[in-house]
Amino acid sequence: MQQNIARDKASTVSESRNDKLIGYLQQHLPKLVLAPSFAVILMFVYGFILWTVYLSFSASKMLPNYTWVGLEQWSRLWNTLTWQISLQNLFIFSVLYIGLCIVIGLSLAILLDQKIRLEGGLRTLYLYPMALSFIVTGTAWKWFLNPGLGLERTMHEWGFVDFKFDWLINSDMAIYTVVIAGVWQASGFIMAMFLAGLRGIDNEILKAAQIDGAPAWKIYTRIIIPQLGPVFLSAFVVLLHLAIKSFDLVIALTGGGPGNATSLPATFMYSYSFTRNQIGVGASSAVFMLMIIASIMVPYIYSEIKGGKK
Amino acid sequence: MSFLNIENVNKHYFDVEVLKSINIEINKGDFLVLVGPSGCGKSTLLNMIAGLDEISGGDISIDGQSMAGVHPSKRDIAMVFQSYALYPNMSVAKNISFGLEMRKVPKVERDKAVQKVAKMLQMEQLLDRKPSQLSGGQRQRVAMGRALVREPRVFLFDEPLSNLDAKLRVDMRTEIKQLHQRLGATIVYVTHDQIEAMTLATKIAVMNAGIVQQFGSPEEIYDNPVNTFVAGFMGSPSMNLIQAKVCKVEDKLCFEVATADQDRPLLLPIERDQQALVSYLNRNVTLGLRPETITDPGSANRSEGQIHEADLMVKVTEPTGADMFVVTQLGGTEVVARMRSRCGALAGQSCRFAFDVSRNLAFDGDTGDRIQ
Amino acid sequence: MSASSQDNALRSGIAWRVLIYSVLIVTAVIYLAPLFVMLVTSLKSLEEIRMGNMMALPLQITFEPWLKAWGSACLGLDCNGISGYFWNSLKITVPAVAIGTLLGAFNGYVLTKWRFRGHQWVFGMMLFACFIPFQIVLLPMSQVLGWLGLANTTSGLVLVHVVYGLGFTTLFFRNFYEAFPDELIRASVMDGAGFFTIFGRILLPNSGPIIVVTVIWQFTNIWNDFLFGASFASGDTAPITVALNNLVNSSTGVKEYNVHMAAAITAALPTLLVYVVAGRYFVRGLMAGSVKG
Repeated sequence: MQQNIARDKASTVSESRNDKLIGYLQQHLPKLVLAPSFAVILMFVYGFILWTVYLSFSASKMLPNYTWVGLEQWSRLWNTLTWQISLQNLFIFSVLYIGLCIVIGLSLAILLDQKIRLEGGLRTLYLYPMALSFIVTGTAWKWFLNPGLGLERTMHEWGFVDFKFDWLINSDMAIYTVVIAGVWQASGFIMAMFLAGLRGIDNEILKAAQIDGAPAWKIYTRIIIPQLGPVFLSAFVVLLHLAIKSFDLVIALTGGGPGNATSLPATFMYSYSFTRNQIGVGASSAVFMLMIIASIMVPYIYSEIKGGKK
Repeated sequence: MSFLNIENVNKHYFDVEVLKSINIEINKGDFLVLVGPSGCGKSTLLNMIAGLDEISGGDISIDGQSMAGVHPSKRDIAMVFQSYALYPNMSVAKNISFGLEMRKVPKVERDKAVQKVAKMLQMEQLLDRKPSQLSGGQRQRVAMGRALVREPRVFLFDEPLSNLDAKLRVDMRTEIKQLHQRLGATIVYVTHDQIEAMTLATKIAVMNAGIVQQFGSPEEIYDNPVNTFVAGFMGSPSMNLIQAKVCKVEDKLCFEVATADQDRPLLLPIERDQQALVSYLNRNVTLGLRPETITDPGSANRSEGQIHEADLMVKVTEPTGADMFVVTQLGGTEVVARMRSRCGALAGQSCRFAFDVSRNLAFDGDTGDRIQ
Repeated sequence: MSASSQDNALRSGIAWRVLIYSVLIVTAVIYLAPLFVMLVTSLKSLEEIRMGNMMALPLQITFEPWLKAWGSACLGLDCNGISGYFWNSLKITVPAVAIGTLLGAFNGYVLTKWRFRGHQWVFGMMLFACFIPFQIVLLPMSQVLGWLGLANTTSGLVLVHVVYGLGFTTLFFRNFYEAFPDELIRASVMDGAGFFTIFGRILLPNSGPIIVVTVIWQFTNIWNDFLFGASFASGDTAPITVALNNLVNSSTGVKEYNVHMAAAITAALPTLLVYVVAGRYFVRGLMAGSVKG
């Protein structure tokens, strides 16, 4: 070994030119490795966004047509009744979906945080819907809420003869079935987020509060829940993001119907682009969706990255 | 000729200058300690010697050969990291031999080298373990073994003992010192602990705010600090730095120091650096008194020093077993004196203090530079 | 306050405990109900479904619906069941997960351990890509896939899933490697290891957990995807989610609920299995995907 190292030492000088080349490569290798991924993102994400934005100002109908028509497609979009219904539905859906998920998720998390013997098993049960495809969820709930054979009939058989549940085929109520299925799927996940937040609270603060004589419910309302602010924010952002992207669930559960009663921007965009041959309108609806999401995600990501630096 | 030569080295990140014209030269076999508070730039300097950080200006050379543009692995140096940086997925033996493997040393030689190092550090029985199965001290040993096995021209240590508990730290310090004496290796060692610096180094560079404040042997640094920063940083308990006025009493230069009793200031005759201090007559200076130069009259060293005695009020006493630190008030601040443990000093009472005035140091009141 | 009293529990009277447990268990039953109904329905004959209670256990268990769903149910004119689509999904998911995870690992490695000026911007742009509504890329993508000759192919879907999974895989690995000590990298540089050696010998062997998290995340997302499948694949190349939707919504003939349910459970089985086996890592992925760093 001695000799070998001696040889090493002697060769350091003669190798130094070669080293420069290797050094140069070493210096740029990391960027070369990252470059393809970044190029792909630039093209397939940012390039495509610009492309879609352009499409929304073009005369595209069944096929892309790059003639500039200004705001024509945009005004067509806003004059489409289905689009107005879609936005209205998105609003109803988001409010209920986010609100219920947070209420149920937080309640379950607090209950589970009481040194429950079966905690692990229960947690697993509450969370499993999140592993399912929305299509599967939709299919299951479609059957579960089937007016003829589903829940309604079951309740009748159990003796609640007057029970009536036809929301799935009732235009006024169908959107609420989407809410039910959506909450069922995501609330367990929100529960897990809150539970992690609860576990992250400094126990000594709670001990101090107990010594101060605060009753349990006050410890929750005055000390614990106010400290979960960041979790509320995360949950809100995640759920809103999921709500705006909701597509599969609606397709599988109601197909956007009855009529267009459960249409959402995501389903609107898909049907106008691919089945109704209105690519221009579809593109402008997609751009609008991006705008809503960006207005939430950009500040959120920015603050998260900045906060992470501290 | 100097073996490791750091010449006019600068470092800035963007607009922030973190190191300013650093000049350090050491010989083969020297043990250089870079010491200073955190953020003084000592670790950056070490990383620049290793080649892990780029130099903004100046040059570092080892054995007459410039290290500019030389890859860290080609500098023939080895480093021991603060966190030990052991590869968690590899056994101890693999950790030690990884560097040799990367240098394409044949397996037989690698195994032999690992055995030799393991024997030297008495950890033959640990070779098959993973880092997670080792104690802190054992990890430290493996990290040293990884450096030793390479037999490099220079060893770099980046605060290697700071993650150990107090007792282990002292043991490992002794062990590092023995290794240095046995191998005659050239070592650059970074620490913020001035005791480590004093005990290990043959050369110390005290750094602060990106500047080498003083470079010299431990004795030079301790006895002749060039400014108040070095004086205050090196030594424990640290040097008493108090305000004093240079005055003339009966034709003799004295430091006049305020005491608790306003009417009776303490007068300490000036025995050292008299020439330089003449020009400071009637001006304020900072007077530096090491705690061990203030004692009880019984333990004062009269054969070497010149002793001046005075009665002062004791504020607090702190017995440590071997000694007793006695705190009094001088020049508006608290001053620590080091007395025998049974000198009889009591808080709130007067006590006789003996000052070894031949070891008093004076610093410019404004710049903090030594007056000599 | 007794020594054993618990850190943040509500006052634990017996009545309270009973109440808490009942609420939790009733909720669990509600969460389980749809899966239970699916399962029992899939084991009943159509006759029994029409006559009986949805919640009731099957009087006579039959596996006929399962066999039919797998091998002979009709989607449109094609009566070969969903098995072909199941394999399609596998053919899409496995390569897309592998490629996406590997690229994400490299990206995370470069973005944490070989930083360059502007690395935050590169990462920020990749991160934002995670959260775009995919509707925004559907139209250009279908055109590009056509040009590349990948329209209506499983390879096309592999490409799509790799591209739009990159943001997340990069995010996961970046956050994991961010916490990986830099000193280890410095030590291996001094030992003479290069870019790929450090990655292969030092980082990867210590990346077990994050690889599992990423693979599960990618697998679940890609297997469950419907939007891309419905947009870029049709007929024989469709993934299982698309096939399931077609099966359930095909308007011809009698609605065979039992077959639908068997097909739905089949479609859900792989991800459910992963969840049961490695739920811990699944949750970690969900958390990492929602709370960025």
